[in-house]
Parts: sequence; structure tokens; C-alpha cells
Amino acid sequence: MMKNSVLVIIMVLLVVGTLNAQITYVDQEVYGMDCAPCAYGLERGLKKMDGLQKVRVSLNDGRAYLDLAAENELTLGAIQEEVKKNGFSAKKAAVTVSGKLSKENGQWLVATPREQFLVSQATSTEYLEKMTEGNVTVSGTVDDVEDDNLPSQWILTISKMERIQ
Amino acid sequence: MIVKKITKLPARINYLVLIFQLAFTGVAVAQGHGPLYGLQTPTLAKGGVDLNVAGMTLSTEDETLYMLRYLFSYGITEDLQVNLTTPTMIGRLDNAPRTRGNSNMPANGDIEASLWYRFFSNAFGVGKRFESTAVFGVSTPTDDVRGQVNVGQSVHAAISTGYASRTWYGWLGGGYHYYFGKNGEQLGDLPYASAVVGYRPNIFMGDYPKPDWRIFIESLAEFPGEAIYEGNLNDSGTRSTKVLVGPSFLGLYGAWGISFGAMFPAVQNLTPGAVREKYRVAINLSYWL
Repeated sequence: MMKNSVLVIIMVLLVVGTLNAQITYVDQEVYGMDCAPCAYGLERGLKKMDGLQKVRVSLNDGRAYLDLAAENELTLGAIQEEVKKNGFSAKKAAVTVSGKLSKENGQWLVATPREQFLVSQATSTEYLEKMTEGNVTVSGTVDDVEDDNLPSQWILTISKMERIQ
Repeated sequence: MIVKKITKLPARINYLVLIFQLAFTGVAVAQGHGPLYGLQTPTLAKGGVDLNVAGMTLSTEDETLYMLRYLFSYGITEDLQVNLTTPTMIGRLDNAPRTRGNSNMPANGDIEASLWYRFFSNAFGVGKRFESTAVFGVSTPTDDVRGQVNVGQSVHAAISTGYASRTWYGWLGGGYHYYFGKNGEQLGDLPYASAVVGYRPNIFMGDYPKPDWRIFIESLAEFPGEAIYEGNLNDSGTRSTKVLVGPSFLGLYGAWGISFGAMFPAVQNLTPGAVREKYRVAINLSYWL
């Protein structure tokens, strides 16, 4: 009886942990956007995506700033695909992700239900040495990948990490 | 040769007022965000829709043509765009110069459908990209006779390459327009080339959604062949040479755009019977859906 109760609690914790796993902020660098209709078109395309709370596109910065809703199913891949559909190139992105930190095959990664963020070895040892499995919110920079080959597993260099209780 | 007289509207009608009224009462259409006369490279986003209304005039030594044009564009993918343009002719020319008039929306009485395919694109920096686009189009005339020659259907192909940035723009392109014969007559073919330089002044470098203006210097070189008609049954193979130059301006704000400009002939070495031009003027209103 006691053993079954423990298993149920573990399952609930796993489910809760997974439900809270998502991207909450993206600062996406965009190359090739030269004019007002470019920014207008990209902003319109991004605003149509479910799960976005706020979008701002800057021509001079060459960036799209996205605040995602508290609960969303958006992926970084979908956001970069939208950039590509508008005729531009998505480069590196600064992201904030809440997910489960775990170690697989000797590599730390933060997982959401739809994507994985492999922790880069360029991450400061300040964070690498303190890593233990559990739910975390991390901020960092995702490496640029080919627009025609967007992955579901990204390389993330962490600049900030907080434990989620 | 049978001369077919084309009736023109009374000259006292204020065509400029008419063009502005028609342009602002309808949904305006976007011709891309580049030159007015020269070949360009931008294509719409996937699923993007674009409409333009343009007013055009082309003047020869003896006559002036006035027309409106409408252009509908749809982005099949971010690199492939389909366009359809139709004219409303307000006044046709009895003796028309052999020209497209405007590389993207012809200043003659054709209905034209075209595909623009951006086969190369390299976005290499913030606000910067190189790209190249190929164009292929087919057209059918709304007039039976143009410049006293029976006018048939036509095909058009062009290629353009360009550079776009937050400050400077540039495009180089070339094309070829070929009319099929009709009832033993045929308009001359038209190889042409265009070169455009554009500049956005610092004062208009404010971030989106602030207004965005730029100026272009456009140039167009045309080498029309001779028409074959009742009075000229053999194509001698000689060609006219025309080079036109002029400024154009493009203003953009959010989903709206307006462009206007003029071209003037700098060189006109014409074959006998070819028509000499004085100027071309166009204004285009755009809206991106």
C-alpha cells in the first residue's frame, strides 16, 4: 500500500513537472529584414501563432522579441520556421525555458514536451558544477542552425539558472 | 496598311484627379518594395497577399497615353510568388512606342500573369541580403491593334539580382518580351536591361513602425526590334536603342506604401518609323494584407 502511494506521488510530480515545461521568452535575431513591410509581415505572422502574449519586431536591432503566454505549446522551431516563411533568416536566439534538467549519455539537457536544449560546454562552470536533476528555469543563448534543417534538439549556453520548487 | 482610328477621351478631363480618386477609393496594391520601373527581387511571405493600384502615363512627341493598372500578388512560398495584372486604358496611342513601359506592370493594354521565383537569397547581416529572382510571364492584349500593328499574345522572361540593406539598395536585371504574330503581323521583340540604385536617408532610419522613405535612381535600356506589318513585311534585323533615366520615391508605413516617379529618354537611336518618347510617369499605391 505504502509502495503504491509513493509511485502515484512520483507520477503526479512527473506530470506536473512536464506540464510546466515550456519556453517563456524568445529574443530572436533575424537577418535580411530591411524595410517596414518586412517587419509588418513578420509581426503579423508571429501574432497569429497560439501561445504568444506580446510580440515586438525591431528593424534596426534585427530582432523579434516574444513574450509567451504562461501556458503555451510553442516551440523555438515553430518561431524560426515563421521567420523563414517570411523570407528572412533566423539566427541565434536568447531564450528563457522552464523544463526538466536531466543528464543523458553524459550530457545535461533541459527538456520540454516538444523540444530539448542540450547544455553547451561553453556554459560557465558556475552553473555546470551545480547541476543536479530537477525542474529549472534557465536563460541563455541558442546557437544558430540552418533554416532548412530546424531541429527539435538545440544547443544552449546557459547564462542564468533557477530551481523550480 | 489599314489605319485603325482609336477614339480617345476628351483632353479636358483632369486625369491626375481621376487617378488619385480611383486610387484612394479602392484597395491599393503593393508592387513589392523596390523600384517603380526597373526589375526587382523581393517576393512575398508564404501565404502573403498583395494588391496595387497604379496610374501611368507615357508621352510621345504627338500623343499621351493614360492608364490605370491593378496587380494582385500571392506568395505561394517565401520564394515563389504569382502575379496577375489588368489594365484600364483611359487613352491609347495611335502610334505606340515598342516598350513594356514598366518592367513589373506593363504600360500597355495587356493582361499579364507572371511567376516570380527567388532562386537565390543570402541574408548575411541585420537588415542585409543579396537575392536573385527569375520572372516568367504570359500576356493577352485588350486591344486588337497597337501602333497600327495587329497585336497577339506574348511571353516575357527576366532575371534580376539585387542587394537590400537599411541604407543602400541596388538591382541589375535583364529581360526579353516576345509577341506572337497575329493575322500576318507581329510586334517587334524587346530585349531590355535595368539598373537601379536606392538610398534611405538617415532621417528615415527610425525603427518600425515609423515611416520609411527612400529614393531611387532608375535606368532602363531597351532594344526593340522592328514590327512586321503590311507596310514592312520583312524584319531587317535592325533595332532601336533607348536609354531612359529618372528618379522614383517609395514611402512605406506599416502595411501601406506609395511610390511615384518619372523616366526621361537620355538616348533614342530609333529605326525608321519607330516612335520617339518624351517621358513616362507613374504613381502606385500599395497595401499588404
